[in-house]
Amino acid sequence: MKKTIKPVVVSVLAMSVLSACGSNSSNNAAGNTNSGGNASGEKVKIEFFQNKSEAKATFDKLVAKFNEANPNIVVTQVNPPDAETVLKTRAAKKDIPDVVGIGATDTYKTLSASGLFEDFTTDPLAKNIQPAYVQMLKDLTGSSELNGLPFSSNASGVIYNKAMFAEAGVTVPTTWDEFIAVAQKFKDSGKNAFYLTFKDAWTTLTPFNSLTTIIKGNDFFKERTAGTVTFSDSFNEVAEKLLKLTEYGQKDIFGKNYNDGNTAFAKGESAMYLQGVWAIPEIVKANPSIELGVFPFPATNDAADNKVISGVDTLLTISKNTKHKEEAKKFVDFLLQPENVSLYISEQKAFPAVQGVTQDDPTMDGFKESFESGKLADFADHYIPSAMKVETINQSFLQKKDINAYLKQLDTEWDKVANRK
Amino acid sequence: MAKRRVAFYLMTIPALLLFFAFHTFPAIQGIYYSFTNWDGFSDSFDYVGFKNFVNIFQDENVLNSYLFTFKYAIITTILINVISLLIALGLNAKIKAKNFFRGVYFLPNILSVLIVGFIFNYLFANVFPIWGAKLGSEFLSQNILGNSDWAWIGIVIVAVWQGIAYNTILYLAGLQTIPHDLYEASNLDGASRWREFWSITFPMLASFFTINMVLAMKGGLMVFDQIVALTGGGPGRSTQSIAHLIYTGGFQGGEFAYQSANAVIYFIVIVVISALQLKFLQKREMDL
Repeated sequence: MKKTIKPVVVSVLAMSVLSACGSNSSNNAAGNTNSGGNASGEKVKIEFFQNKSEAKATFDKLVAKFNEANPNIVVTQVNPPDAETVLKTRAAKKDIPDVVGIGATDTYKTLSASGLFEDFTTDPLAKNIQPAYVQMLKDLTGSSELNGLPFSSNASGVIYNKAMFAEAGVTVPTTWDEFIAVAQKFKDSGKNAFYLTFKDAWTTLTPFNSLTTIIKGNDFFKERTAGTVTFSDSFNEVAEKLLKLTEYGQKDIFGKNYNDGNTAFAKGESAMYLQGVWAIPEIVKANPSIELGVFPFPATNDAADNKVISGVDTLLTISKNTKHKEEAKKFVDFLLQPENVSLYISEQKAFPAVQGVTQDDPTMDGFKESFESGKLADFADHYIPSAMKVETINQSFLQKKDINAYLKQLDTEWDKVANRK
Repeated sequence: MAKRRVAFYLMTIPALLLFFAFHTFPAIQGIYYSFTNWDGFSDSFDYVGFKNFVNIFQDENVLNSYLFTFKYAIITTILINVISLLIALGLNAKIKAKNFFRGVYFLPNILSVLIVGFIFNYLFANVFPIWGAKLGSEFLSQNILGNSDWAWIGIVIVAVWQGIAYNTILYLAGLQTIPHDLYEASNLDGASRWREFWSITFPMLASFFTINMVLAMKGGLMVFDQIVALTGGGPGRSTQSIAHLIYTGGFQGGEFAYQSANAVIYFIVIVVISALQLKFLQKREMDL
C-alpha cells in the first residue's frame, strides 16, 4: 500500500512547484473580465488600470467626474500593488485593460514592442502633448510608433527641509563639493543629512539615476549595448559618489523602507531626502506644516552640468484589442483636458506633459530654472533591462562597499541578460 | 458490488480530471516554454533548444538562490518539527485549560502568511530595534532584515513561528492514536518518562513524523510569501528563494522561458528530494 502511494505523493508535491509559477497570474484576472456586456441599453464598462498608488485618490476624483458626465460609460479604476508585474502577467493572458496608465519604464517598452498598444502617431489626441516628452517615449522604445500619450512627468533631485537649512545657516548647494560640505555640516551638528531607505532596493535608484545620467549620460547604455564601453572603465565616479552618500545617512540605512523614510523626513529627522517629487504628497500628508524645497542633484562640480532627472511619470495608452475603443479614447481625451491635468499635477506635485498647463507650486521653484532652460534628462534605469535588477546590485554594493566587485557585477549581469535574449 | 464501483469511479475521475487540468497540464506547458525564448507576453517566440538550461548553470543568481533555499528549508524543517513535537507532547499531557492552549497554538496557522509577514516586517523595523537599543546592543538595535548576513534568520523566525501550528496539530492527532495500554504496561515495568518517549511515543509517531518532515521540507523549499512580505529577496539577493527568483525573473524581468527552465530543474530536484525523504523515513516506519 505504502509503496504505491509514494510516487503519487512525490509527484503531487513536485508538480505544485511548476504550477505555482502559472497560478500567480490567475489571481489577478478575477475581477477584470468586465469589458464585455455591450448589449443595447447597457452601460459600457471601461477598465482604467494605473500603477501609481500615490495617485489613486486623485484618479478616483477624475473618474467620478467622467462617469457623471457620461452616463452611458462606467470607468473603473484598478490599482493593484506591484502593478507593473500584474500588467505583464495579464499581458501574458492577452487580457490588457482598456485604458492603461503607467510610467515610461522598461515594462512600457517591452509591452509596446509586443504590439499590445494603440498607435497614436496621427491621432488628434497627441496634438497637445509637449513634443519633448513624445520624443522621450520614442527614444525609449526605439520605434517610429507612438504607443502612449505622456500625461504627467516627474522630477527627481533632492528634496530639502527649508527650516532646517535656515537653522543651520546653509544655502542650496550647486556643486558636488558644496553638497558634501552641507551634508558634513549637518553631520557635525549631530543631525542626519539624508534619510536613506535602502531596505527597499528601488530607493537606491534615485541617487543612482541622478549620478549616472548627469555624469555619464544615457547614451552610455547604447554604447554598452554596442560593446564599445564597459561599466568597469566608466562607472568609477558614479560608484564612489553613491557610496559617499551613505556616510551621511541615519543609523540603520538598510533597515528602513520608503514609507518609513517619508514619515521620518516629514518629522524633521533629516535635512535632505534623495527622492523625486512623487514623495512630496506622502511627506506633506505626514506633516502638513513642513516647508519643503527642491534642487537639482549636484552630481558634478560644474554647476551647469547638473540636470533635473525627469521622465514620463504617467502615460496613457489604450489596448489595441479593446472592444470599446471609442469610449476608451473619450476617457483619455477627458483626462488630457487642461483642467483635469491641472487638478492632477497640483495634487500629485507632478509636472504636466500637456501644453498650456503649468506647475505653479512654490515648493517646485528649485526645479523651475531647469525646466525652463531644458536642463532635463531621462532616468538612467529606463535604459537598463529590468531582468538585470540593477537596484538589488546597488543595494548589495552599498552594504559590501566593494567598488571593483560592483562594477564587475554590473558588467557580468548586463552580458548575461543580453546573452539570454 | 458493481454499484459501489461506480460510486468510486464517480469520486475518482472528476478529481483526476481537475488534477490534470490544473496541475499536470500547466506543468507540461512549463516544460514546453523552457525550450523557447518567450518573454511572457509577446505574440511570437522561437525554439531555442537547451540554451536556457545552459545559461541556468552559468547563472550565479540561481546558485545563490539554491543555497539560500536549502539552508532555509533544512533549518526550518528541523526547528518546526522539534518545537511542534515538544508543544504537542505538552498539549497532550494532563494540563489545565488544554483546549484553550490548543486553540492559541493553532491561531498562527489561520492568519495569512502575507499579513503575518507584514506585521513582523513592522516589528523588525520599528519595535525590536528599540528593545535592542534599550539592551545597549549595537547589533540588536538595527533591523535584522536589512543586514545581508542575518536577514535569513528573520525569515526563519517568522516561518517557524507560523509553521509550528499546523505540525503541532498533526503530532497531536498522532499522539492520540497511540494505545493507552502501552503506557500502562510500561508504567508497570517501571520505565522512566524518557524511556517511555524513546521506546513508545517516538516509534509510534513514526508515520506522522514522516509526513511532517516531508510537508515542512516541501514548504521550506517553496518559500515565497514570507520573502515577499519581509525582504523582497534583499538586501541584494541574499534572501532570494528559488520560487521568488522564478517569479520575479519570469514576470518582472520578462524572462518567462528562462525561468521556466529554472522551474523544470527545480521540479526534478524536488522529486528527487521527496522520494529520498520518503524512502529513508518510511524504512524507519517498516522496521517497527
